[in-house]
Amino acid sequence: MDTEKGNTVKLLKEKRKVSTEAKEKLKEFTRTKKAIMNALNGEDLTIAQLSEKLSLPYNEVVYYLMSLLKFGLVQVGEIDDMDEYFTYKVVK
Amino acid sequence: MGKVTYDAIVVGGGIAGCEAALNIANNDFNVLLIEKDLSVGGKMILLSKVFPTLDCSACITTPKISEMARHPNITIFTGSELQKVSKYGDNLFEVSIVKNPRYVNIEDCTGCQLCEQACPVTVPDQYQLDMVGRKAAYIPFSIANPRVAAIDIDNCTLCGACEKVCPTKCIDFTQEKEEWIIHVKTVILATGFNLFNPEMIPRYGFGLYKNVVTSMQMERQLAPTRPFHTVLRPGDGKVPDRIAYILCTGSRDASVGNTMCSQICCMYSIKQAQLLMGALPMADVTIYYIDIRAFGKGFNEFYEQALGMGVNFVKGKIGKISEKKNGDLVLRYEDVCSGKLQEAEHDMVVLSVGVVANQDAQKYFTDLTLKKDRHHFVQQVDPLLNPSKTSIEGVFVAGSVSGPMDIPDSILSAGAASVEAINHIIQFS
Ligand SMILES: Cc1cc2nc3c(=O)[nH]c(=O)nc-3n(C[C@H](O)[C@H](O)[C@H](O)COP(=O)(O)OP(=O)(O)OC[C@H]3O[C@@H](n4cnc5c(N)ncnc54)[C@H](O)[C@@H]3O)c2cc1C
Ligand code: SF4
Repeated sequence: MDTEKGNTVKLLKEKRKVSTEAKEKLKEFTRTKKAIMNALNGEDLTIAQLSEKLSLPYNEVVYYLMSLLKFGLVQVGEIDDMDEYFTYKVVK
Repeated sequence: MGKVTYDAIVVGGGIAGCEAALNIANNDFNVLLIEKDLSVGGKMILLSKVFPTLDCSACITTPKISEMARHPNITIFTGSELQKVSKYGDNLFEVSIVKNPRYVNIEDCTGCQLCEQACPVTVPDQYQLDMVGRKAAYIPFSIANPRVAAIDIDNCTLCGACEKVCPTKCIDFTQEKEEWIIHVKTVILATGFNLFNPEMIPRYGFGLYKNVVTSMQMERQLAPTRPFHTVLRPGDGKVPDRIAYILCTGSRDASVGNTMCSQICCMYSIKQAQLLMGALPMADVTIYYIDIRAFGKGFNEFYEQALGMGVNFVKGKIGKISEKKNGDLVLRYEDVCSGKLQEAEHDMVVLSVGVVANQDAQKYFTDLTLKKDRHHFVQQVDPLLNPSKTSIEGVFVAGSVSGPMDIPDSILSAGAASVEAINHIIQFS
């Protein structure tokens, strides 16, 4: 085993197939992440604005955006005059 | 397959299991603690603050848990499940356990999180009640114990990115399930409770209306390690202004098969209402209740404190929740005091979900009978004089596995169980 340390994934790949569902989830997240990062490149946007630009339901934008915030790729901008919605921007 | 002997096995690493394991270990007996999750700490480690003192939950939990984890007389198996418990000779139990692979060598992982950064996969984070994502290579949460990575193999695409960046080469995809046979003198069951699934009450719209959340989701939103940067509606990211609580969701309700009072939800809702008023000073918080059960020491004062802070208490029975186009929620309820049907609009509704029995423990005993009570909790056969005793000699209960309990009561119950377990070990040694 010691000789394989650092590359044990190769051994599991021989035994186990990655599910189609896992592959689909990866594709979907990568696609949405890219779309959000592109949309935020250049302007700060609210969740409603992102939802319109990306044609994604509001709640899905919340999930993806908050994940990107957690991963340090996005940061919080200003809150509106009614103290209701924030804008979000890319971490430079 | 490993074959080992311990004085005691504790099943479940919530606050009750940890307390019981520590007490036994401090008396020079060796203990094996089995936790099915990736971290010990149970529900308490995920709470924000605790009633009625508003102490930070993580600050109280983590010292106790690290004392337990570092104890020389305690061995912990996380990610592990019991398969079977049977009698072995006159005074021992034989326990079979499956230890699931974590795909990370716990001893070598430093918790640097480089694997997390490298992993391309994102899936809902179960420790944040699915409100935000996490990677497939991940540390369960920042105060997890052990605070080391794990690979979620069902969602892993086997790209190997984590393994390439790991500085200590602790990721090991060759790990497999391990089967263990353990001989012990006594068993403590501390598998805790489950939360009521609010989808069983479709008229509340949980799952359908995104701004209807559970109290555990709100607990996470109020914790320092929250999923969002502040309290937000999951449906559209709005800072909520009018928040409603519906008490007794899934408790005291024969229509969902649970007539019992869950004992903790009045108090945790009052706690969350106070925390919300601190986090969102302009917010209106309304608690819809049947009765307020503030029976413990300092509880009624805690309730009065909430009243004084401006929390609105409405004695009302909720008929139905409906959603407006903008995500706001309309509650139709019977105002019990006036007898009239009323409607009220809220930005967000929190369902104060009740406590239901975790029936895992019953599955382990196939040739012994572990009796359950009428609510399916493990039965305390002598609840007045020996509350930790079960129907099997040498098997004891600690914490909420035997019924709803708050944290102090779970710790007291674990104290009682550990004394009984120690007596049993001494008597049959
Ligand atoms: C929203 C909310 C807020 C709360 N706020 C407060 C508060 O402010 N103050 C207060 O006093 N109380 C509060 N409580 C109650 C508190 O959470 C409980 O009193 C406490 O968690 C009970 O601890 P326990 O160890 O008995 O059970 P649990 O916390 O449920 O722990 C059980 C452990 O056993 C593990 N387990 C389960 N099944 C198995 C199995 N088959 N094999 C191995 N391991 C298993 C679980 O993973 C878990 O780690 C709150 C509860 C909720 C839901
Ligand atoms: S503790 Fe309060 S909210 Fe919970 S079931 Fe009992 S009365 Fe209802």
